[in-house]
Amino acid sequence: MSQDNQEAHEPSKQPTWSYKWEMVVDLDRCSGCEACVVACHAENNIRISGEEEAAQGRAINWIRIERYWEGEYPNVKVKFLPVMCQHCDEAPCEPVCPVYASYHTPEGLNAQVYNRCVGVRYCGNNCPYVARQFNWFDPHWEEPLAEQLNPDVSVRSGGVMEKCTFCVQRIRRGKETAAKEGRRVRDGDITPACVQSCPTSALIFGDRNDPDSRVSHLKKSERGFHLLESLGTHPSVTYLRRLSE
Amino acid sequence: MDLYRRTLFKLLGLTAAGTALPGCEREVHNLVPYLLPDEDIVPGVANWYASTCQECEAGCGIIVRVMEGRAKKIEGNPQHPLNEGKLCARGHAALQGLYNPDRIQGPLKREGRRGEGRFRPISWEEGLSEWVEQLHSHARTSAMITRPVTGTLASLFTTVINSISGRLIFYESTGERTVKKANYLSFNRRELPYYDLAHSDYLLSFGTPFLEHWLSPVSFGVAYGKFRQGRPMARGRFIQVEPRLSLTAANADRWIPIRPGTEGLLVMGIGQILMREGLTRLASSQQASLQRTFTSFSLDDISAATEVSPDVITKLAHELSSANAPLIMGGGPAAAHTNGTETLMLINALNMLIGAIGRRGGLQWAEPPDSPVETVQPELSSEQMLTALVQEFEEGSRSLLHLYLADPLFTLPPSLKFERVLKQAGFIVSFSPFFDDSTSMADLILPDHHPLESWKDHFQADTIAVPSWNLSQPVVRPLYDTRAIGDVWVEAAHRLGGSLGEQVPWNTFQDMMKTRWEAVLPNHHPPLSFETRWRNALQQGGWWPVDVPRQQISPDMPSITYELPEFLGNISDFPFYCYPYPSLGLSDGRGANRPWLQELPDPLTTGMWGTWIELNPTTAKALGINPGDQVRVTSEYGSIEASALLFPGLHPDMIAIPLGQGHRAYGRYARGRGVNPMMLLGPKFDRQSGSLATGGTRVRVERLKGGSKLVMLDQSKQHPVLQRMQEMGGVS
Repeated sequence: MSQDNQEAHEPSKQPTWSYKWEMVVDLDRCSGCEACVVACHAENNIRISGEEEAAQGRAINWIRIERYWEGEYPNVKVKFLPVMCQHCDEAPCEPVCPVYASYHTPEGLNAQVYNRCVGVRYCGNNCPYVARQFNWFDPHWEEPLAEQLNPDVSVRSGGVMEKCTFCVQRIRRGKETAAKEGRRVRDGDITPACVQSCPTSALIFGDRNDPDSRVSHLKKSERGFHLLESLGTHPSVTYLRRLSE
Repeated sequence: MDLYRRTLFKLLGLTAAGTALPGCEREVHNLVPYLLPDEDIVPGVANWYASTCQECEAGCGIIVRVMEGRAKKIEGNPQHPLNEGKLCARGHAALQGLYNPDRIQGPLKREGRRGEGRFRPISWEEGLSEWVEQLHSHARTSAMITRPVTGTLASLFTTVINSISGRLIFYESTGERTVKKANYLSFNRRELPYYDLAHSDYLLSFGTPFLEHWLSPVSFGVAYGKFRQGRPMARGRFIQVEPRLSLTAANADRWIPIRPGTEGLLVMGIGQILMREGLTRLASSQQASLQRTFTSFSLDDISAATEVSPDVITKLAHELSSANAPLIMGGGPAAAHTNGTETLMLINALNMLIGAIGRRGGLQWAEPPDSPVETVQPELSSEQMLTALVQEFEEGSRSLLHLYLADPLFTLPPSLKFERVLKQAGFIVSFSPFFDDSTSMADLILPDHHPLESWKDHFQADTIAVPSWNLSQPVVRPLYDTRAIGDVWVEAAHRLGGSLGEQVPWNTFQDMMKTRWEAVLPNHHPPLSFETRWRNALQQGGWWPVDVPRQQISPDMPSITYELPEFLGNISDFPFYCYPYPSLGLSDGRGANRPWLQELPDPLTTGMWGTWIELNPTTAKALGINPGDQVRVTSEYGSIEASALLFPGLHPDMIAIPLGQGHRAYGRYARGRGVNPMMLLGPKFDRQSGSLATGGTRVRVERLKGGSKLVMLDQSKQHPVLQRMQEMGGVS
């Protein structure tokens, strides 16, 4: 950090900082209220599918709440699991893309370049988390619903694969603001829409390269685990186990 | 002129290229909201305005992101003491109310028969004169049913309605009147307490759906996060008692299913054990009056009636006594019976026994604020009071009906005969911005602005640590030829004239608000001008004190006469309890015209875009019902048909159905979709509060021929990968 400060004070040198964006999901806080789901729709211009298309399994959610029923009445339990793109370091979706639409950014994001995508859906097929969703048709908003669309995020057309970006537009804005002030992005500067809205603060986002960030601290928790860890995908999302009495 | 974003960008592009005509520039400037000076608009740079969410009655502070005159995103106001920057699914979807394609775009007058749905656009002048004429010709026979507004608007409604000897009814179907009634009877306070969940270490909840839709779900969510993981050494424990495992119960460490309507008995059982074993935290002299209340049933009888074993009851009592800061909450299904208020009063008494009243981590009441403007929150009317209104309209003592953001035709069961009011009324005026079921029966529609287009203020004292005065300001220019209801009522007051004109001397509703706010906003040292204080309050989203003293609550509790719940329909013809519950996204139905909420999967069933009927799997098997079968649920009062869904967390004698669908009107996303379980309910009320006993009608279920589709997000049968995830879990 001290080196960063030194760099920032030298006006001649354009400082560069390396980030590694990661998320922590505390399942002991998550209540399954789905505030994140609608926040994500609003921020990322996710289209409305309608009843007919949703019945075909074509509804798009970049983040969804999975629920797992266990046991039989009266000894029933439900567990909630928010699932979004895990931004894997060894992402199974990346090597199968014939046009490099799915690629890994230096900051650990698993990015999707929409205007490269030719819609072969190999990536969706290879994603063990079902995080990638295909646009089977062009999006449509009844007027004037489109007035709400976020101008920072492109609208995806039919034939294109899409998924969670960790709100890359917010990451970029946060980095620009920090760079203008000649500093590294501070912990808490950048919050993806889901993290921002989460009432129970179950979602935490930050820079893994900052040893003092909350994400770095929480990742070390003994409650931590990754989804389908045995597949060796090395996800950037760490889950913290829900506790019981 | 209609300018859309694309056009705007084109125009801006031209300007940048330096080839623009001056005329074009003026057009572009017309797009900005009037609140913002033109020179502050920077294309591509967002402005954020503080306001107040009006999607439910909780009153969360919000900030709205506005770019080039368009509202883009709503987030929680980080400074607001209620929601601390957080927001729920419904709060986000307020944008789809603003930009809803089915908004009423200007004043309308009915053509053809009432309810036929034919309307003719008229001018505001014509609409206002027609309304004022009707007020004159229906002197002293007006009634107004409004959602429970507070602050300046409540004061304006009260002034106008009183001056014309009308009747003002604040109604909300999910208003938790039983909780308010029990609170008043037990503690003599109208305001609900601040539930200090964040500092409690043990929560025993009787049915409260506080993580879904109960009172103030976002503030409870914030507190819940702290309750579980906000303290380094302590993790709060949480037990939920209710017949259906709700989203809230799914989060509990233990779910205790109970026979519907017997929650009060369980409370008595716990109280008995605490008293018998000397585990209470109340002086024995103060305990004496509660002794009789808590021992009127034996523990064995209680166990038999509730289906909760004596061991479990004893364990609950011991856990309550050994916890440092235990807290008990009650509401939702526990209060949905004829004995609802009594059950909640028993819970209040049990809170007194465990010393939770006024304690950190318990229930706290702020001292009523010493303010020159009235701080009383309007009292909500019960469904029973609305049936009295039906009688008044039939007798003719009432004939002019006003409706504002209340849809009694949809939210009340038909057995209460509210449609008679709409048939009998001499004239119906609605101020709703949408064609809800009741508004489509109106004779005259004077549509209100959307909350993001208008001025309002709100006083919030329930479930909040410090009472707050919240402000709503217009963040975008009105989209249509609508008018703020406040301005319309100020104008009507002027036209009615006489003493009313003197009582409402302001030109606009905003002026009226500002006069009141001169009294609300405290002046500091050095003194600031009112305009400065007003601007600061607008920037902050309102005004609230940093802290207020807590009020002492007398430990003397009124005696409680508990009675077992009563049900409509005999058990042999109608063997099942029925519980229609407010849906997470659609609530009682007001969210049904927002596509985001229609497509939001219910977290427990993943159902969307429709209605389903929940059955316990064992019950379904006995009835030969498979998931997806079309089933009919029948009560003495009506029947509905929908798709069957097996719900593992449901009492075997209960049928549960989500509310929110089954609209006859309310726009393209809501109309004709699903069914409204209110069709089933009979006129059974909570004895003390007069609230509809939504769990008080028995039903039977039968399988019909064929299946019916219910759209679900859970596509595990189509996606073997999801199946694998479910099997491998990884969740523990």
